[in-house]
Amino acid sequence: MKLTFSAEDEQFRQEVANWLANNLCGDFEPIRFRGGPGDEHSFVAERKAWEKKLAEGGWTAIGWPKEYGGRGCSIEQQVIFNEEYARAGGPGRMGHIGETLVGPTLIAYGTGEQKEKYLPGIRAGKDLWCQGYSEPSAGSDLANVKTKAQFDEASKQWLLNGQKVWTSLAHESQFCFVVARTDPASTGQKGLGFFLVDMDQPGVTIRPIPQLTGTAEFNEVFFDDAVCSAGDIVGAPGDGWRVAMALLGFERGVSTLGQQMLFQSELDDIVKIAKENGAANDPSIRQRLADAHIGLRIMRYNSMRMMSGGEDGSLQKEAMIYKLYWASWHRNLGKLAMDVLGPESELLTDAPYELNRLQSLFLFTRADTIYGGTNQIQRNLIAERALGMPREPRGTV
Amino acid sequence: MDFTFTDDQLAFRDSVGSMLENEVTTASIRERWTGDSGENGDMLNMLNEMGMNSLLVPESCGGLGMDLVDFVLLADACGKAALPESIVEDAVVAGGLLSDLLASGQHTDQVQELLGGVAAGDIRVGCAHIINPYSNFAHRKDWMLLANGNDVHLVPKSDLKFTALKSVDPSRRLQKVDWAPSRKTRVAEGEVGAGLQRATLNRGALAAAAQLLGLAQAMVQQAVDYSATREQFGKAIGTNQAVKHLMADCAVQIEFAKPVVYRAAYTVGVAPQRADWAVSHAKTAAGSAAELSARNATQVHGAMGYTWECDLHIWVKRAWALAKEWGDAGFHKNRIHEWLLQPNALLGPEFTFGKRYIDHSDSAAA
Ligand SMILES: Cc1cc2nc3c(=O)[nH]c(=O)nc-3n(C[C@H](O)[C@H](O)[C@H](O)COP(=O)(O)OP(=O)(O)OC[C@H]3O[C@@H](n4cnc5c(N)ncnc54)[C@H](O)[C@@H]3O)c2cc1C
Repeated sequence: MKLTFSAEDEQFRQEVANWLANNLCGDFEPIRFRGGPGDEHSFVAERKAWEKKLAEGGWTAIGWPKEYGGRGCSIEQQVIFNEEYARAGGPGRMGHIGETLVGPTLIAYGTGEQKEKYLPGIRAGKDLWCQGYSEPSAGSDLANVKTKAQFDEASKQWLLNGQKVWTSLAHESQFCFVVARTDPASTGQKGLGFFLVDMDQPGVTIRPIPQLTGTAEFNEVFFDDAVCSAGDIVGAPGDGWRVAMALLGFERGVSTLGQQMLFQSELDDIVKIAKENGAANDPSIRQRLADAHIGLRIMRYNSMRMMSGGEDGSLQKEAMIYKLYWASWHRNLGKLAMDVLGPESELLTDAPYELNRLQSLFLFTRADTIYGGTNQIQRNLIAERALGMPREPRGTV
Repeated sequence: MDFTFTDDQLAFRDSVGSMLENEVTTASIRERWTGDSGENGDMLNMLNEMGMNSLLVPESCGGLGMDLVDFVLLADACGKAALPESIVEDAVVAGGLLSDLLASGQHTDQVQELLGGVAAGDIRVGCAHIINPYSNFAHRKDWMLLANGNDVHLVPKSDLKFTALKSVDPSRRLQKVDWAPSRKTRVAEGEVGAGLQRATLNRGALAAAAQLLGLAQAMVQQAVDYSATREQFGKAIGTNQAVKHLMADCAVQIEFAKPVVYRAAYTVGVAPQRADWAVSHAKTAAGSAAELSARNATQVHGAMGYTWECDLHIWVKRAWALAKEWGDAGFHKNRIHEWLLQPNALLGPEFTFGKRYIDHSDSAAA
């Protein structure tokens, strides 16, 4: 156990801070503190440009090994980067799905060809990715995906047919990783494949789904003979579930660091408003602010502990508790934010339906307990997989 | 001791409830969102024909002369339907204040005439209170009852300036009301004015509480229905204990909030000097039942509940607004603990339901 930063680490911190001070300014000034959860729709073009700027400075994919274009940063340095990024008001990252999910998955499971083909685009802040897991009948029961992938011997490529839904940022992405059934006779976790699909082709149709926030961050994605070359399946046909789950493991890893810094800045906002509008004089609000602070610290220590092991994305017990913990914490923070605002919480900033940052937070945190595995499913996982309790009976399909 | 409603009260609730169920479709609510006024004229007429406007207006002014116990189930029905029109506030809050003014002998002629117009459905009167910065549908009213310090003013539309503000609930049309108090518009002042404003706050909070109960029940019903049809893992999601428990927790809160709201309605009429804590309890209990129901109903709907298309958010957003209107949970809990912790708090069993509960005015009320 060693819970301090070294002298080199502190030097690294200075380097990050300096770079951000010199670059997150000018044209990029307006995007500071923007584009976080619930605010993904804002400044999209500017934030895409920012991704490229980060890449030029060598600040994308900093945790990837150097041989893949990363910076090979230690966990400590990644922590520091995320801290400084948040402090500087770095905008919500557009490239995070590629950088924190696709990249590590390809590094662990991809072929040399796949790494060569996809990692540089992610690293350059150029290629954005989306996640094609959920379908109308495959939500919590992800293994129930019905999208079919058939290998076409004539053209030597895969043909995809089916529908994905709730696909976040599909309309902004070049690529989608898709879980699809390679064995049409199979059911459940067997017979699946994990595909890397180019979104810019006639076989792919994207339709935005308006959310209760008035914006459309997620989409329906239809595949009608969408093509995917023979080399763009990760793992063998039938092995898709394992890859898909490993990717979810990375979701609970380093990518949580940036998230916590964002949480911190939300909490700071709420504390500031509470002081300004007098809500901080209310004893019940004071207690809840303290609870929020405590919860965030617990989360932080736990994820540092969690990351002290496991390179392949496999879920450890500590990792399993994390989604449930942060989602519930964040949901409570959203409620606290509205209670701090009091009656003003009802007012939109603008017509037709422009939410302020804290209102977006409140609504978005209602989804936190749903996407990436609902709270109920997380509890089942903890009980059945971490504690080994008897499995809940399934229905007859 | 009798918490039951009369057959007449239940029949009234049923007829208003079924009218709302038939007429206030979610499609018609969404139509209002894009309409200019945000109101539906036919609905206003139907509510008026059913006596909603005149319910609390004294018989001497052509009203039905009923009380809040009669109204509480109707407000619940309006919440269930997520009715956008502000009939509950108009009838209970503005109507209640006008009736109070009449009873206190202030500006009798003018008030009597207005009450008559309200009962007939010819005149619409609204009411704002210092606790709510903005007033729903104020721009649609002919007169507004407004507060200035302790004073109460009755101001015609021509002397009001409205600035529209957007609510998270697209059904609500909030207005900032600018006006200049004058002697001409003042209808109550000093102690009398302060007392009227306090009663107004209590009626407003009670009206919100009763609607929140209705909203909560409607949200739970939608989630229960959804849980029976949506299948995952080869079975209806409602077969999972975790999903059942989400709904059961709401049902417990809702059922336990009901008698609290009913009791508050009764207390406002029978022992108004002790209404503060009863109303605060009601608003807190109904508000937290509605907030939990909004949260859990959304959870049960999964990603579907996060879409604009799914009707659930109509109720979710109304609950969000009403839970904060007329005093949020913090405000009302503070009123409760102030009352509870005062040196001479009247806390014995004789003050729970006993005779002294009605006779005594406690010091918190002074
Ligand atoms: C904002 C947002 C963004 C999203 N982005 C993406 C994305 O980019 N890519 C993607 O693939 N997906 C995405 N999703 C989809 C998300 O992964 C699913 O919503 C989630 O897996 C739940 O599935 P569902 O919505 O179908 O709900 P359902 O599975 O239908 O669940 C409904 C309810 O039933 C409960 N339930 C279901 N089964 C059980 C059980 N066995 N035991 C106990 N309770 C159960 C659930 O907990 C929930 O409360 C997103 C969702 C949201 C809300």
